[in-house]
Amino acid sequence: MSEARSGSLAVENRVAVATQRQLIWWRFRKHKLAVVSAAIVGLFYVVALFADTIACTEPFDTQATRGYVPPQPIHWLDAEGHFHPQVFALKGKRDPRTFKLSYAPDPGEPRDLVLFGRGYPYRLFGIVPTDIHLLAVSDGRPQDSLFLLGTDQLGRDVFSRLVLATRTSLTIGLVGVSLSLALGVLLGGMSGLYGGAADLVIQRVIEILRSIPTIPLWMGLAAAVPASWSPQRVYFAITIIISLIGWTELARVVRGRFLALREEDFITAAVLAGASHMRIIFKHMVPSFLSHIIAAISLALPAMIISETTLSFLGLGLRPPAISWGVLLQDAQNLQTLGLAPWLLVVALPVIVVILAFNFLGDGLRDAADPYG
Amino acid sequence: MLAYLLRRLGLALITIWAITVVTFIILQLPPGDFVDAYVASASAGGASISAAEADAMREAYGLNQPLWFQYVKWLGHIVTGDFGRSFEFGKPVIEVIGDRLWLTVLLAVGSIVVTWGLALPIGIYSAVRQYSVGDYVFTLLGFIGLAVPNFLLALIIMYFGLRWFNLSVGGLFSAEQDLAPWSWAKVYDLIWHLPVPMLILSLAGTAQLVRIMRANLLDELRRPYVMTARARGLPERKVIFRYPVRAALNPFASTIGYLLPFTVSGSVIISVVLSLPTVGPVLLRSLLSQDMLLASTIILLLGVLTVIGTLLSDLLLMWIDPRIRLGQLR
Amino acid sequence: MPELSRRTLFSALAASPAAMELITSTLARAADLSASGLVGEIQGPTMITDPAQWPKTFSEAPMLAELVKAGKLPPVEQRLPAEPMVWKPLNEIGKYGGTWRRAFTGPGDGENGNRILSTDKPLSWSADGNKIVPCMAKGYELSEDGKSYTLFLRKGMKWSDGAPFTADDWIFWFEDIYGNPEIVPTPTPEMRPRGKAGRMVKVDETTVRWEWDVPYFLFEEIMAGDTGLGGGQAVRQSGKISFGGYSPAHYLKQFLPKYSSVEVVNARAKQEGFENWVQMLHFKKDWELNTDLPVLGPWRSVRPINNPIWLLERNPFYYAVDTAGNQLPYFDKVQFTLGENLEVINLRAMAGDYDEQERHIDLGKLPVLLENQTKGNYKVHLDLGFAGADFLLQVNQSYDADPEIRKWLTNADFRRALSLGIDRDQLNETFWLGVGTPGSPAPAESMPQNPGPEWRKKWSVLDVARANTMLDGIGLTKKDSDGFRVRTDNGERLRIQIIAVQAFLPYPKLSEMVADQWRKIGIQADVKEMERNLAFNTQRNNSHHIFIWNNGGTELLYLFPIHAIPVDPVQAFMGPLYGAYYASGGTQGVKPTDENWLKIWDLFTEAASLKAEGRNKNAQEIWKILVDQQYGIGTVGQSPAGLGVRLVSNRLGNIAARVCNAQHCRTPGNSHPETWYFKS
Repeated sequence: MSEARSGSLAVENRVAVATQRQLIWWRFRKHKLAVVSAAIVGLFYVVALFADTIACTEPFDTQATRGYVPPQPIHWLDAEGHFHPQVFALKGKRDPRTFKLSYAPDPGEPRDLVLFGRGYPYRLFGIVPTDIHLLAVSDGRPQDSLFLLGTDQLGRDVFSRLVLATRTSLTIGLVGVSLSLALGVLLGGMSGLYGGAADLVIQRVIEILRSIPTIPLWMGLAAAVPASWSPQRVYFAITIIISLIGWTELARVVRGRFLALREEDFITAAVLAGASHMRIIFKHMVPSFLSHIIAAISLALPAMIISETTLSFLGLGLRPPAISWGVLLQDAQNLQTLGLAPWLLVVALPVIVVILAFNFLGDGLRDAADPYG
Repeated sequence: MLAYLLRRLGLALITIWAITVVTFIILQLPPGDFVDAYVASASAGGASISAAEADAMREAYGLNQPLWFQYVKWLGHIVTGDFGRSFEFGKPVIEVIGDRLWLTVLLAVGSIVVTWGLALPIGIYSAVRQYSVGDYVFTLLGFIGLAVPNFLLALIIMYFGLRWFNLSVGGLFSAEQDLAPWSWAKVYDLIWHLPVPMLILSLAGTAQLVRIMRANLLDELRRPYVMTARARGLPERKVIFRYPVRAALNPFASTIGYLLPFTVSGSVIISVVLSLPTVGPVLLRSLLSQDMLLASTIILLLGVLTVIGTLLSDLLLMWIDPRIRLGQLR
Repeated sequence: MPELSRRTLFSALAASPAAMELITSTLARAADLSASGLVGEIQGPTMITDPAQWPKTFSEAPMLAELVKAGKLPPVEQRLPAEPMVWKPLNEIGKYGGTWRRAFTGPGDGENGNRILSTDKPLSWSADGNKIVPCMAKGYELSEDGKSYTLFLRKGMKWSDGAPFTADDWIFWFEDIYGNPEIVPTPTPEMRPRGKAGRMVKVDETTVRWEWDVPYFLFEEIMAGDTGLGGGQAVRQSGKISFGGYSPAHYLKQFLPKYSSVEVVNARAKQEGFENWVQMLHFKKDWELNTDLPVLGPWRSVRPINNPIWLLERNPFYYAVDTAGNQLPYFDKVQFTLGENLEVINLRAMAGDYDEQERHIDLGKLPVLLENQTKGNYKVHLDLGFAGADFLLQVNQSYDADPEIRKWLTNADFRRALSLGIDRDQLNETFWLGVGTPGSPAPAESMPQNPGPEWRKKWSVLDVARANTMLDGIGLTKKDSDGFRVRTDNGERLRIQIIAVQAFLPYPKLSEMVADQWRKIGIQADVKEMERNLAFNTQRNNSHHIFIWNNGGTELLYLFPIHAIPVDPVQAFMGPLYGAYYASGGTQGVKPTDENWLKIWDLFTEAASLKAEGRNKNAQEIWKILVDQQYGIGTVGQSPAGLGVRLVSNRLGNIAARVCNAQHCRTPGNSHPETWYFKS
C-alpha cells in the first residue's frame, strides 16, 4: 500500500520535473498505433534511401517476351528438402484463340536466390558506383527470372519499379511539405502577428485559393510548365504547384496559434522586457506551437501523396519515364489490368499503408503535442 | 452585427471578383485555344482540318481578339446573366450546366448525408467504447476508405460489379430510362444507380469525420460536468447525448459551408471514371478542350458556392457560439 | 531521379540460355490469325445497277406507314427517287425495327455519326475499298482531256424533309456558300488544280459539271474520297466548316443575307442567341446540332449531339431500297450513349450494351473482350487496316531551334540508323498482341500505290550492329560514360525528344519501349507525354523533334496526304514550315533545302493531272523516296488497332466477316449499316 503510494508519488515527482520533450515522448508512447506507424514510416524512408539496392531488375528494361508475367513464387526448399531458395525460369506462350499470355515455370532451369548478389549497375546515394543488390539470382540476370511481383505490359519488373516509385513519391511529399511549411509559417505568422491590413490581404488570398477548385488550378499551372523542361525540372515544378495550394491549411493553423499566443502573459512579459520581434517569434512563440506544426505536417504529407496520384490520373504531374506511385497507379487504371494482370494493383498497397501510417502518426503527435492538456 | 455582416458581404464580393480574374488567367495559361483543341481532337478522330479552315473557325469564334477584351466581354455577359455559348457543345452554357447541375447537387448532398450518417454513429461508438475491438475495427475501416485512391476503387467496383453481379456500368440512369420522361420507374432507376457513386464519394470524408467526432467527444467526455451528470444518476444514454454530443458537433457548424463545394470538386474525377452525368466530367472536358466560357462559368460557380459557404459558416458559428458574438460587441 | 540509370550497353545483346520463348515469327503469326477465327474475308452487300433487275413495288417501315396513313407523309413510291440505289443485302432481306445502340464520347465525337451517314457522299467505294462506285449520285463522267467532270444525280431524289434534291443545291453551295468569303475565307486547293480555280456549272436538273483549266483526272477520286468536295454534307458542313459540294438551298436560304438583308439575318441571329449571322449559319447547317436541317443520309438527328444521348431516326426520304423493294434503312433509330472515358465504354461493350461498335474499342483489351463474348452476346471481328504505320515516328525536317539537333534530324543516315535500332517484333507483340505487320510506312501490298514488296522491309528491320556503324560513320563517334552518344558541338549528351499523345494506341508507352531499344545504339530519347492540344500546339510551332502519330489515310495518298507529306501546316508533323510553304504557294513558311521534298511535291502536284495509272506510279515513286529517306519511321501497321476491333451483337443480321478499314471507306460507313437489321 505504502509502496504503491510511494510509487505513484515517485511518478508524480518525475512528471513534475520532466522536460517538455520528455513529456511529449511519454505521451506519444502511450498511443501504440502511433508508435507502430512511426516505425513503418521510418521503414519506408529507409527503403527510399536504399531504393536501387533493394530493387533487383533495371526498371526501364523492356522485353516483350516477358510482358504481364504473374508474380513468381520462391521455392524455399529444393528437391532434397534443404533450405535453398530458388526461382525457376519461365517459358511463355500467347494462345492464338484467346490472345492471352501464359507462363509456365521450367523446373529444369532453377536459379539460386542470393542475398547481396550482383545485378544491374547503379550509383549508391548517387555517388558510389556499384552493382550489389539486396536480392539477386546466381547468374546475375534477374531480368530473366526474378519477378517477385510480376511484370507490367512492357515486361518491366513491378517490384523494382515499385521500390523506385517509393523513393520518388516519398521525397516529393517531403519537398512539397517543406515548401508548404515555409509559406504557411511565413504568411500565417505575418497574418497572426501583425494583424490589420496584412491579415486582411492574406486571409483574402487564402480564401480565393481555397475557393477555386483544385483541378482547374492544377491543370492551368501544369499546362504552363514548358514542354522542353527535363523530367527533373518538371518534377520540381509539380511539387511547387501542389504546395502552392497546400500551404493555405498550414497558414490557417499557424495564424490561429499566433493569435492565441499573442494574448499570453509570457509574450506580454517578453515584449515589456524589450525583446525584438524576431526573438519573440523564434525563442518564445515557435517552440510553443512547434509540436502542432509537426502534427500538421505529418497530416499534410498524405495529402501530398494523394495529390500526386490524382495529378497523374489526370495526366498531369509526373509522367513516364519518371516512376512514382501515381504513374504506376495510372498504368494500372484500366480493364486489361483488372482482367489480365491484377497484380499491378499491388501499387495501391504501399500508398494505403503510408497514408494510414502518416495519419496515425499525426494523430499521436497531435495528442502528444500538448502534454499539459 | 450589421456592420460585420456588410463588411463580410463586401469582402465576399471582392473575393468573387478576384476569382474571376484568376480563373481567366489560369484558363489562358495553356498555349493554344479552342480551335487548336478542336483540330487536335478531329485529327485524333480520323478527320482533317486544314490551316485555312482552322483560321476561319478562329475568326468565327472571336478567338483572335486580345485577352483583356475577351475578359471584359465575358464579365459583361455574366452581369447580364448570359454566360455565353459553349464552343464545344454549341449551346448556351447555362443549358449545358443546368442539365447536370441538379444531379450534381443531388449526388453531393446524398454523399454528405451518407457521410454523416455513417460517421456520427461510428464516431460516437468509438469514443464511448474507446480502445475496444469495435473501436479499432471501425477506425481501421474508416481509414482505409481515406487512404485508397478513390478513382482506382471506382474502376474496381465497376469491373467486378459487372463480372460478379451483372450490375449496369457507370452512369446514373440506364440507357432506356435516360430518354424517357420522368416517372416512378425513372426515379427507381436513379435510386438504384446512386449507392455506388455515393459510397465511393463519402469514403474519405467519413474517415475524417469519424476521427474528428471521436476526438471531440472524448474531449467533452473528460469534462467535469459529465462526471457530475453520472454521479447524479443520469442514465448513460442521456449522459452522452444530452450535452457532450451536441457540444462536440459545434465544430461541424464551421465546416458545413464548405461541404457542398468541396464535395462537388472532389467528385470530378469519380464522375469521370464512373461516367456520371454531373458537372464534373463537363468541367474536365471543357478544361481539356479549352472551352473558355464553359470552363470559366463552372469554376466561377464553384468559387461562388465556396465563398457563400464560408460566409454562411461564419454566420452560423457566430450564431451558435455566444462567445464570438459577445467578443464582437466589446 | 527519372534519369535512365547506368547499365552496360550490350549485356542484353548476349543471348541468354534460359530466355523465354514466344511465338513471334511472321509465319506463325499468319497461322495465329486464322486460328483465332477473328479475321474473315472482306464482304459486303451487292449493288444492283441493271434497271431490269430493280424491284417494281416498294414497301416501308411500319413507323412510316402509320405516318402515311395519317396523311403526314407521301406514300413510299413518291418518296423514293425514280432511280433508287438498289442493294442486295449480304445475307438476306432484313426486317424493319429496332434501335442500334452505340457509344460516343461527347460533342467532339461527331465523326462517330458522320461516318454512319456517309452514304450522303456523291460516290463511294467497293467493299474492298479499291473501286469507285456510285453512291448518292448515280454516276459520273470524266472527259478525255480531264478538264471536265460531270456528275449525274438521281431523278426524283428528295431531302429528308421532302423537298427535291437537284443540281440547284450544288450551284447554291458553290455560289452562295463557297463563294461567300465571309463563310469560306480561304478556297480549298481541291477546287484549284495548279492554282487555277475551277467552276461548277448546272447542266440540267440532275446533272452538274465541273470545268477546269488544266487536266484534273484526280478529281474522280476526290469526289469519292473523304475530301472537302467529296466528303458529303454530314461531315463537311458540321463543325464550322462549309465544304461538301452541295447544301439544302431551300432551307438555308433564309439564313443568308443575300436572300433578305444583313440586318434581317443579324437580327434573327441575335434573337436566337448568336453573335452574328455567320455563327448562326454554322449552327443551322450542322446536322449534329440542328435537328431541323434536311439531310440525305439514312438517319437524321432528332436529339442533338450535345446531350448525354444523341439520337438519330430514320430518314423517310432515303434514296435506297433492297432487292425486295423495302426502303432502307432497317433500323428505326440509332442511339449514341455518352461515355466519359474509354474504360467505361469498353466495359459497357463487354456487358453487351452496344449492338455494333468499332469506335473507341481498345485492341489492348482484346483478351478480355474475347472472354466476355458469351456473356455479352456479341462476336469480335478484326478488320485489318491498309495503312502502313499505326505508330509512326515523324522526324521534323523543318526544325530550326537547335542547329545541332537540326543537323541530325535532317541527316538521312541518322534517321535510317534510328529505324534500324527499333525492334518492331517486340512492339508488335506487346501492343498489337502480334496481329500487326512490322515494317515501313508504305501502304498495304494489296493497295495500288504500294511501291513493291521489297519496300516493306527496307531500312525497317532490326539491325543494331549496322545502326551503330552508321551512327559512327556520320560523326557521332564519341560517347559519354553511360554509353550515350554526345553532341559534336559541346560534348553533352545528344537528346532527341519524342512527343507522344495518348491516342487509340498508347503512344507514350510505345515510345518508352523505343527509347529503351535505342539505348543499344547509344541514342538518348526523352519521351514527353503531352496533352493532345499542347502537343498539337507544339507541333504547330515547329518546336518538336519527333512527333508520334499514325499515317491513316495515306493508303490513297492523294486523298489524305497530310500524314505522309507536308502539304498543310496542320498535322505536317514531318515539317510544319514546309507545309506552310506548300499551302501558301511559297509566301509563307520555308522552302526545303532537301531536294527530295521538292521532287515529292512535283510528283504530288503533277499527279492531279494524270490518269489513274500515272497517278499511282507517281505515288509509288513518292513512297520509295519516303521509305528510303525515313522521314517518317514506320514500325507496325495494317492492324485493327484503329476502328478495326469490331464488336457485333449476335442479334444482328447481314454482318460482314470483314470490312474495309480505311479512311476513304469511312469505316463503318462503307459496310452499309443501312442494310443491317435485328434478327431477333
